Amino acid sequence: MKKKLVSVLLVSAMAASMLVGCGGGDGAASTQKGGDASNKTEATGSVYLLNFKPETDEAWKNLAQTYTDQTGVDVTVLTAADGQYSTTLQSEMAKSEAPTIFTIGNTTAAQTWNDYTLDLKDSALYEHLTDKSLSITYDNKIAGVANCYECYGIIYNKTILEGYCGLDGAVVSSVDEINSFDTLNKVATDINSRVDEINDALGTHLTEAFASAGLDDGSSWRFSGHLACLPLYYEFKDDGCDLIAGEGEIDGTYLDQFKNVWDMYVNTSAADPKTLNSGALNAEAELGMGEAVFYQNGDWEFSALTNPDNGYEVTADDLSMMPIYFGVDDANQGLCVGTENYWAVNCKAPQEDIDATLAFLEWVITSDEGRDAITNQMGLTAPFDTFTGDYETANAFAQAGNALMTSGKTSVAWSFNATPNVDDWRADVVSALTAYTDGSGDWDGVKTAFVDGWADQWKLAHAEE
Amino acid sequence: MEKAMKKYSPIFLLPTMIAFTIGFIVPFVYGIFLSFCKFTTVTDWKWVGLQNYTKIFYVNGKLDTTFLHSLWYTALFTLVSVLIINIVSFVIAMLLTKGIKGTNLFRTVFFMPNLIGGIVLSYIWLMIFNSVLSNFSKTIVSTQWYAFWGLIAVVCWQQIGYMMIIYVAGIQNIPGELIEAAKIDGANSWQLLRHVTLPMLMPTITICTFLTLTNGFKLFDQNLALTGGNPGKMSQLLALNIYDTMYGTTGWQGVGQAKAVIFFILVALIAVVQNKLTTSKEVEN
Repeated sequence: MKKKLVSVLLVSAMAASMLVGCGGGDGAASTQKGGDASNKTEATGSVYLLNFKPETDEAWKNLAQTYTDQTGVDVTVLTAADGQYSTTLQSEMAKSEAPTIFTIGNTTAAQTWNDYTLDLKDSALYEHLTDKSLSITYDNKIAGVANCYECYGIIYNKTILEGYCGLDGAVVSSVDEINSFDTLNKVATDINSRVDEINDALGTHLTEAFASAGLDDGSSWRFSGHLACLPLYYEFKDDGCDLIAGEGEIDGTYLDQFKNVWDMYVNTSAADPKTLNSGALNAEAELGMGEAVFYQNGDWEFSALTNPDNGYEVTADDLSMMPIYFGVDDANQGLCVGTENYWAVNCKAPQEDIDATLAFLEWVITSDEGRDAITNQMGLTAPFDTFTGDYETANAFAQAGNALMTSGKTSVAWSFNATPNVDDWRADVVSALTAYTDGSGDWDGVKTAFVDGWADQWKLAHAEE
Repeated sequence: MEKAMKKYSPIFLLPTMIAFTIGFIVPFVYGIFLSFCKFTTVTDWKWVGLQNYTKIFYVNGKLDTTFLHSLWYTALFTLVSVLIINIVSFVIAMLLTKGIKGTNLFRTVFFMPNLIGGIVLSYIWLMIFNSVLSNFSKTIVSTQWYAFWGLIAVVCWQQIGYMMIIYVAGIQNIPGELIEAAKIDGANSWQLLRHVTLPMLMPTITICTFLTLTNGFKLFDQNLALTGGNPGKMSQLLALNIYDTMYGTTGWQGVGQAKAVIFFILVALIAVVQNKLTTSKEVEN
């Protein structure tokens, strides 16, 4: 009996010493970790960023590594494949280690993820935001803060257009005279009808005025999204509703102007109006190779057009951007400025992760490393007051947008962010637009898809259960 | 021996059963459950009863025909593709078992398309179709029927080779003496085909029709890459329609799930009926 007692004691002593040993080991490890990290913040909590833009993946990973080296806080970056963000987000959010930072694109997404978004009102992120309209307010909270803003309009080849202005019989004598839809339409029509003459005079190889208006899935958003923004914007403005959040029913008051612009795109382009949805058209290359003068798209095209690997003829000096003159308020209209990228913070994450995440985001927009990565490596234009001096944008289109803003033009808000069930609504509009353009349908079809489709999808998307 | 096998079989079956449960039964039952819920992520749901099922057909108080349209479009697509694939691959298999010179080369050539993935294949075909159709100012998504025949062409091109291999194997399995006996009895080549080859091939036909039938109903990659459901949603087959509902419409994940359940029941029913029908025609070797 005694023997047994001794052995039990021995065993328990052994077990205890093992536990102590473990504990000691842990303690040593944690202090060592603390020693590695600088003494800025306590290394608790971790950050998991689900990145939206595939082209910035590498820059984010490097930045995350820098942050981990400096503070010891783990930062995971995962980038969703192009076009797969919502799928990826949905599956990642269901995991126990869910993303702490994710991207929402518009109010609808804020609605979908309402249970997951943290109110960012008191965050440093929101505090540094220069234009508070670049955030999403939903359910009385700041659900998302823009991490970059973008502008779009009509990209044009300055060199060719200036050359054209110097020719005999040109509609305008300087690019500055193009300041309304009517003038732009006349110029584009004239260029398109005198392509050969211009080529002979200027030594260019133009084939058209406007680059092809492709209606395939890879290009149709330029019209069902970006061009459609203008009639929405002016109507929302008339109705006095929130320009980004929109309203449940629209009248399509400005669809005639939409039609005029669309007709101009189609009629002054060399592409066959019947096969615009083939997917074989490459408008970017048409402008890049100097075959077209005008191309409706955004400042994100700058890096693609000037990247030497793409082999385009145009250089940064050739490129500039003008507003999409719409025939409503051309004298005051600037570029369309907004974003589809808002950072949201996952409120269902553990509190220490939320704290770590907010600290990380603040570091990104205030530290030299973070600002350098965003402006120079990712090529984004950030809407925060910390981005001054060396961290201002180098993008010619964004610069053109800034110039228009400082000259007192009103930027057009991204009203298309209000679109209910974006994919469904756009698909119907594109299909009607295709039918109108290839002659198998009429403009009333587009109106129906635009106006009635809006009300239908709105009811679906905003139905309260 | 038999007693021992009975006794221990559960133990040996266990790993497979666990894998089957994790990989199939659990997601399947959970999926059916989710079709009665409103959910954003699969772990975060709210019970809504049959609402998802009514939403498939009634939207905003109106009858919504997109699901019904893709239902009959898919049915028609499946019917046409099953017929063309099986008939053509059977004919090619017959020709390639006649001992023509270069048979092996032909078999390889016909089988090759099946080695390319559906997405890649469809993008290549998209370019071919559109460059040909552009001469007529049309594209593959000009109307739903261009899209329909485009899909049929791609799917046939891909699957005929595969079914052909199965048919070749089946034909080679028919005993030579049976054919010889029929010939001695004076059967002409039509009678030979009708009364010897076809009955002997019934098991193969069962497999091939089953495969093409389910492939037709489940078709997704080719649909996504070739037409993307355009024009409008008119060329959406069922699988793409479900995917689109799931990810395209806000808050409709549950409806997508409900559609998927209906889809499963439908495919299962048709496959069972087809299996019964063709199996009943099989003869003993």
